[in-house]
Amino acid sequence: MIIHLKDINKTYPGAVPLHVLKDINLDIERGEFVSIMGASGSGKSTLLNILGILDNYDSGEYVLDGVTIRNLSENRASELRNRMIGFVFQSFNLISYKNAIENVALPLFYQGISRRKRNNLAMEQLERMGLADRAHHLPGELSGGQKQRVAIARALITKPSIILADEPTGALDSVTSREVMEVFRQVNESGMTVVIVTHDPGVGAQTNRIIRIADGRIVNPDDNLIIPDCKNV
Amino acid sequence: MFDLFREIIQTLSHNKLRTALTGFAVAWGIFLLIVLLGLSKGMINAFEAGMNPDATSSMNVWGGWTSKPYKGYKEGRRIELLNTDIKALEADNRSHIKSVSATKTLDSAMVSTQRDYLTDGMSGVFPEDANLSRIDMISGRFINQADMEQKRKVVVLSEKNAEQLFGSAGNAVGKRVNAMKLSWLVVGVYSHPWQSKTYTPYTTALELSGNNGRVGEITVIASNLQSEADGEELESNIRSTLSRTRSFDKDDTGAVHIWNRFNNYLTSQTAMGLLTTFIWVLGILTLLTGIVGVSNIMFVSVRERTHEIGIRRAIGAKPRSIMLQVVTESVAITTLFGYIGIVAGMALTAGLGALIGNNEVILNPGVDLSIAVEVTIVLIIAGAMAGLFPAIKSTKVKPVEALRDE
Repeated sequence: MIIHLKDINKTYPGAVPLHVLKDINLDIERGEFVSIMGASGSGKSTLLNILGILDNYDSGEYVLDGVTIRNLSENRASELRNRMIGFVFQSFNLISYKNAIENVALPLFYQGISRRKRNNLAMEQLERMGLADRAHHLPGELSGGQKQRVAIARALITKPSIILADEPTGALDSVTSREVMEVFRQVNESGMTVVIVTHDPGVGAQTNRIIRIADGRIVNPDDNLIIPDCKNV
Repeated sequence: MFDLFREIIQTLSHNKLRTALTGFAVAWGIFLLIVLLGLSKGMINAFEAGMNPDATSSMNVWGGWTSKPYKGYKEGRRIELLNTDIKALEADNRSHIKSVSATKTLDSAMVSTQRDYLTDGMSGVFPEDANLSRIDMISGRFINQADMEQKRKVVVLSEKNAEQLFGSAGNAVGKRVNAMKLSWLVVGVYSHPWQSKTYTPYTTALELSGNNGRVGEITVIASNLQSEADGEELESNIRSTLSRTRSFDKDDTGAVHIWNRFNNYLTSQTAMGLLTTFIWVLGILTLLTGIVGVSNIMFVSVRERTHEIGIRRAIGAKPRSIMLQVVTESVAITTLFGYIGIVAGMALTAGLGALIGNNEVILNPGVDLSIAVEVTIVLIIAGAMAGLFPAIKSTKVKPVEALRDE
C-alpha cells in the first residue's frame, strides 16, 4: 500500500469553523492510476494538500510509502516532498526565466546534486517526454502541452513514490488534454503510482479507479447516493 | 555554491533595471566612503611626512621666570639654562633620553661678504639639529661632530642667503664669509620651506658669546616613550633636574618652559584617528541609505516572487535554502555595486592624487589594500543585514502558494 489514510479530519478554524474533511479513509496501492473527483468546495483540494504534505491534518493517520506523515517540521516536509512526491499543476508552475532543462533539474538542485549530473538526468526525462529539442527553450516559448510535459518530467526526475497531479488538463484544449493523459498512462505503465485530482469526468474516465469526494466525505459507489453532476456545478 | 551564484545571476539579470537602480545607491555610498577615506589618508600622509621620529619624541626647554620663592630667593627671578645643564639632564634620565642638544644664538653677529651682508645673526647648533629642523642639504654638508669638537669656524647657509651673499647658491660652498671680525668657511647650503638661519657649531657659538655658558634652548630627544604618561614623566623629570641645578621649586612651572612635542604628537595622532573614525561613521551612514534601498527592493522581490517561492517550496526547497538565496542575492547586489563604487572612488582619488596630491596639506591620497578589505567586509555585512528581514519574510511563504493561480 503506497497511500494509507485513516479517519482523517481537517477543520479550518475561523469565526465559523469549517469542517472540510470528515473521517476520510482511503487506500491506494502501488502502481495504481487513480483520480480523485469532486466539485469545488467538496474538500478535494484540501485532500490534495494533505496527500502532497503541503498542509497538516487535525486527526487520523496518513502513511505514505511506509512513512507516517504527522506534525512534520517545515524542513522535513520539504525533504519528503522532494523525495516522495512529484507534483503536476494546472498552471504548469514552471519558473519563467529558466529554460526547460533547468526547470526539470530544479528538484535535484535542492538535493545538492552536481549541475552536470542534474542536467544529464533532466535531459533523459525530457527525451522520454519527446522534448529533447526543446531543452533550451524558455517556458514562454513552449505550447501548453509541451509545458505540461516539462512539468511531468520535473515531477518524475526525483523518482518519487507518487505523482500527484492537480487538474493537469485544466488549462489545456481537448486534443492536448488527451495527449497529456496519454503521457500519464505511459508513466503509470512504467510502474509509477499516479493520483490525479480533477472535476472533469472525461479525465476521471481515463484512470483505472475513481474516488469521489463530496461534502468532505469519500462517496462509496455502493452507497447508491446521488452524485452531483460535476459539469453543472 | 557555484550553483547558488548561477541562480542569483539568473534572477538579478531577470530584473536588470531594478537591480541597477538599487545598486546605484550602494555604489554611491561606497564611492563617497572611499573618496573621503582616500582624502583623509592623504591628509594624514602629509601630516606624518612633516614628522620624524626624533622630532615627535623631543622636548624643547627654555628658561623663564620663577613664580614661587625658593630657598630664600624671591619669585620673579630670571632662570637661564647653562651649558652644564646638558650633561646634568643626560646623567639623570638615561633610560628615556637618546641625546640632549642645545642652541646658542649669536644674535648680533653680522654675516657679510664683499657683495652683501645678513643681519639675522647665527645659530650655534648640534649636528642633530639637521634632523630636528628638517634641513635639506642641497650642497656641502651640515655641522658635524668634528666641527663641534674642534670648535671650527664654519657656517651652513640657507639657499636664499647663499644667493644673496655669493650671487648663486651653487658656488657658495668652500668660500668664506666674515662675521664677528672673523673669517668663516661655508661648508654647506640647505633648503627649507621657511627657515633661513645661518648655522654654526654650538661649541663655537658658545665660546664666542662670552656670557658664561648660558644657552638659549635645550632640546631633549627622548627614546622609549610609549604613552602620554611616559611623556609626562619625562617632562617632570626634566623639570626636577633643572630645579636642582638652577635652584627653583620643582613645582614652579614658570621657571622653565617645556614644549612636550611627544604629547603634542600623541594628541594630534588621536585627532587623526578621530578624523578617520568620523569619516567611517559618515560613510557608513551614507551607505545605510543604499542598504535600506536594497532591503526595500528585496522585500518587493520576495513579494513578487511569492508564487515562485511557493513552487520551489512545493518541489522540495527548504525554508533555509530560500532564505540563503535571498540573503546571498542581497549580498551579491551590495558587493557587486559596492565594488563599482570602490573602483570609481579609487579612480577619483588616484586622479586627484595625480592632480593635487603633492603638497603640505594632502600627500598621496588613496586607499590601500587594508581599507579595501575593510570596506569589503562592511559591504558583505551590510548586504547580509539588508537581506535578513526580507529573507525571514520569504520563509513564511507556504508551499500551498504554488497551487494558487496567478
